[in-house]
Amino acid sequence: MIRLLLRVLGAEYSRPVRRTIALMTAAALLEGLSYALLVPVLRALLSGAPADAVPWLAAFAGAVAVFASLRYAADLSGFLTGGALLRGMYHRLGDHLTRLPVGWFGGGRAGEVSVLAGTGVLQAMGVIAHQLAPLVTATVTPLATIAVVLAFDWRLGLAALAAVPAVAAAQYLSGRASAAADAARADTEREAADRTIEYIRAQPVLRAGGRSRERFGLLDDALQGLQRASRRSALAALPGVLGLAFTVQAAFTAMLVLGAHLALGGTIDAAELLCILVLATRCTDPVLSLAHAGGALRAARGELERLDAVLRAAPLPEPSDPVRPDRHDLAFEGVTFRRGDRTVLDGVDLSVPDGGRLAIVGPSGAGKSTLLQSLARFHDVDAGSVRVGGVDVRSIGTDDLMARIAVVFQDVYLFDDTIEENVRLGRPDADGDAVLEAARAARLDEVVARLPDGWATNVGEGGALLSGGERQRVSIARALLKDAPIVLLDEVTSALDPGNEAAVHAGIERLSAGRTVVLVTHRMPTAMHADRIAFLDGGRVVEAGTHDELLRLGGRYAGFWRAAAVPAEHG
Amino acid sequence: MATDTAADPAAAPAAASAADSAADRASGPPADTGTSRLLRPYAGGLAGVVVLHVLGAVAGLAPLIAVAETGRELLAPGPPDADRVWAAVAFGAVGLLVRLVLTSAASGAAHVLDGRVQLTLRRALAARLGRAPVAALSRRRTGELAKVVGDGVSAVHPFIAHTPGELATSFAVPLVSLVYLFTVDWRLTLVTLAPVALAVALVPLLTTPARRRVEEEFETAMGRISDAVLEFVRGIAVVKAFGGAGRSHRAFRTAVERFVASFLRMVRGLAPVGAAMQLALSPPVVLGTVLAGGAFLIARGGMEPADLPPFLLLGLGLTAPVAALGHGFDDMLAARRAIGRIREVLAEPPLPEPARPRTPRGHRVELRGVRFGYGDGREVLRGVDLVLEPGTVTAVVGPSGGGKSTLVRLLPRFFDPTAGSVRLGGVDLRDIAAPDLSAAVSFVFQEVFLLRAPVADNIALAVPDADRDDVVRAARRARIHDRILRLPDGYDTVLGDGIRLSAGEEQRIALARALLADTPVLVLDEATAFADPETERAVRRALAPRGDRTLLVIAHRPETVADADTVVVLEDGTVVSGAHTPEESR
Repeated sequence: MIRLLLRVLGAEYSRPVRRTIALMTAAALLEGLSYALLVPVLRALLSGAPADAVPWLAAFAGAVAVFASLRYAADLSGFLTGGALLRGMYHRLGDHLTRLPVGWFGGGRAGEVSVLAGTGVLQAMGVIAHQLAPLVTATVTPLATIAVVLAFDWRLGLAALAAVPAVAAAQYLSGRASAAADAARADTEREAADRTIEYIRAQPVLRAGGRSRERFGLLDDALQGLQRASRRSALAALPGVLGLAFTVQAAFTAMLVLGAHLALGGTIDAAELLCILVLATRCTDPVLSLAHAGGALRAARGELERLDAVLRAAPLPEPSDPVRPDRHDLAFEGVTFRRGDRTVLDGVDLSVPDGGRLAIVGPSGAGKSTLLQSLARFHDVDAGSVRVGGVDVRSIGTDDLMARIAVVFQDVYLFDDTIEENVRLGRPDADGDAVLEAARAARLDEVVARLPDGWATNVGEGGALLSGGERQRVSIARALLKDAPIVLLDEVTSALDPGNEAAVHAGIERLSAGRTVVLVTHRMPTAMHADRIAFLDGGRVVEAGTHDELLRLGGRYAGFWRAAAVPAEHG
Repeated sequence: MATDTAADPAAAPAAASAADSAADRASGPPADTGTSRLLRPYAGGLAGVVVLHVLGAVAGLAPLIAVAETGRELLAPGPPDADRVWAAVAFGAVGLLVRLVLTSAASGAAHVLDGRVQLTLRRALAARLGRAPVAALSRRRTGELAKVVGDGVSAVHPFIAHTPGELATSFAVPLVSLVYLFTVDWRLTLVTLAPVALAVALVPLLTTPARRRVEEEFETAMGRISDAVLEFVRGIAVVKAFGGAGRSHRAFRTAVERFVASFLRMVRGLAPVGAAMQLALSPPVVLGTVLAGGAFLIARGGMEPADLPPFLLLGLGLTAPVAALGHGFDDMLAARRAIGRIREVLAEPPLPEPARPRTPRGHRVELRGVRFGYGDGREVLRGVDLVLEPGTVTAVVGPSGGGKSTLVRLLPRFFDPTAGSVRLGGVDLRDIAAPDLSAAVSFVFQEVFLLRAPVADNIALAVPDADRDDVVRAARRARIHDRILRLPDGYDTVLGDGIRLSAGEEQRIALARALLADTPVLVLDEATAFADPETERAVRRALAPRGDRTLLVIAHRPETVADADTVVVLEDGTVVSGAHTPEESR
């Protein structure tokens, strides 16, 4: 557990963690050993000589004072270390996320990672700040106390010692049973969460079918499954908790019986027996709390493992000796990319001359966007190479590569900031005029005029305040401002109303002028003006050429063209 | 997290009030809240669990008393009475056994009860969400709402399974101990209570307004971290593409620094007082106090030495209420917050159902003076009059932000207009029973909702009793049949589990769904329904006029506009031209 923690944190934190654990152990040890002083105190008091107890009491008070300061130092060290770890953990996570390929973040990862950063890190850090101290106290203090008992009476001490392996076994077994049940429960929880989200999102259709009146079967099954799993996990923990309680109580009963027998036989002094039994009761409560501490540790362990998994995700490798390309022609050479066991791109060969314009068309799911993204290294290809100016993109420094490329996505993400700042993202050091100029070229000024606070309008999280087309214009303005030699356009004009479409087209024309452009589109009129068109299907280039060539070929592209373009002409 | 150890004992007052409300819930919950009504059937069971817990814990005192009484017997002058010693030992052993049986029964029962309560709450939440206006279930809130159903309900767990029993126990056991100790020696009892009194006296130091502020700051800072990460991760593509990593990363780092600073501030403030309290309640301090007090009373107060052991054995238990309250405090707070969120969701106003539904006559759709706003002060529709005659195609065009999407979503009653009315066959939609309305209106919008269920079920969602032939026919018309046959199990392929369809294919499934429903009114957002030319063709064919079907479409393609019977230009929430007003069409 500690090893996992240190791996997640990085080795530089091992010293404060070890120091904290050492302080906690010392405090717990002292607590247990200080109980030895109680025996002479009690012996004096019970034999009716209270004055004899005074020096021993004073010694005990001294030991308590040392214990108190050690304990305080341990607590404080735990908190401070926890704080330092927290900072270190977050920084590590943040740094690591920036180095992961963009492709890693698909499919629900955004939510997962933010939950991990919110509660996961805290829970993992809680191990040091909260769970370690009770755990150390619950193991070290009873052991030290048993040593004291052994010193005074070996027979009772052995009885207590006999419980130790039994307690350890019970703890181990219950931990294993609970871990298995918890894992099963985590699965059903995920299932229930998925079904709930599905149920909420599908409300419109479910209602259309009149299905939300009745209990929605798929969700209700998941909820019932969750109930069963949580009952199972509670019941799975029960034998362990019971076993622990039974072991501890049996040991105590054995000491009681043995003590009574020895006392009646006159082989142990009553005061000593009483003192030992008092100490024995001191051992039982902390040991019983072990079961609880174990559960909390397991939960934290789960979070740590999830963090570990994220931190172990391989970052995009950086070239050790980056090459700077001196031109901007593009080439795909035998590019193959797999996602899971599905081949998304299958040996794609394509090239675009410097300043040329390539359109990629094809049915949805053909791999068009993936191909485009491989240029910006959102993910590295599994075979073949993607070259910019003749240089494999993997040999170009990431910052250098990204500086040469402007991307306009279909889905535009805007940060919760003003429009101006969102545009400025294209070139953070741009002056006001340059930002305004780019915005005007993207016809963003029309949008701004309508907004309550103009340029200073906050666009809301993800740009919620703007329509899809308006967000697109922000994205184009960003790209214009960036003024990069390579422009990638991903289905930019696919979901626009006529008003925005005209503006976006005008913006794209401005953006494309004099640059190397690769665009993915299913709008045939957008494609037809490209210097070269590649028709992609099933991850392969099935046709490539100019618009006229492809029409003459009478193949897939021509079919697409007839399906989409002909009726448009009559309107 | 930081409140846990440092503020442990600090929790007493707040936790005590939480305990009160727990007691409320168990005995007689106020009738006005949804949660208490839902929990009432379990009050009896919960009370039983609490009683078992308390009895078990009280039985746990038996071995301690047994040790004390054995000691008394052994210390008495003269030879000890063996029978009485063994009787005390037997008493202790039996007590332990009883405790084991009762507490495990209580714990098992509590968890079973907890599972039932959680299922009840989740079902109630799902039922309520199933009746909320669609506008209240926006994409952004989906995660939040799902979290309430999942983690939110789970957070109630300690409230049911642990806290009531533990709280009751941590008061009942000290009470019984106190009664016993008072009968032994009241003076030493008071001395034994001194550390507890000291700890309680420190409590106000931990609950000053300044400390509360620091704690609130901490919570806010924690929320900011999650937000910063979410923004960071969601915008990662932009961040990478535009080198904005610095900015986003900076925001995240700032949030982290603030959080760590507020964490340390909180800890520094709480640590000394918290540690003092913990120390006051720690076994060495309590034992030392008892022994010092005992030494004094034996020397000067004439106390019998045999009266001392009971205090050493039971005295430590007196600290339980303060310690236990602190212990469960975090869980309790979390449970209370969770219950608050559950209540909020349960209190969401459902889309009103007509008390006496009326049946529409025909399928003429009429909008009169329709106004609508999403509640942010801005009106999206500002008085729309429109008539859709059966068998006609109405195309809505206009600039983005003009209110087109909102307008068409009124027909399947995603939400109700804030003023004016939408009528179907002469009846206000609000007076039509939900099944009747869904039998009359279907839609294809941008958001495609596919369930993790077989393709056939997905298509037949609105018509659960449709047979396979109908499903296949609809799929063919939506031009998705061939694609479905290529799936591993054809129409029985479960979507989701590793089977991913493209956006266009998903939209065609949605279209097949609408075609199968075959309602007299079809609403369609054309601008977003085209993922690729094939889908476009499928949609356009489906749009072909058919009998008396009423079609309302947000038009994107010029030919749709050309073929429409009526073209409505919507701008700034009003119809600027082209519509038949109800008066005209009469």
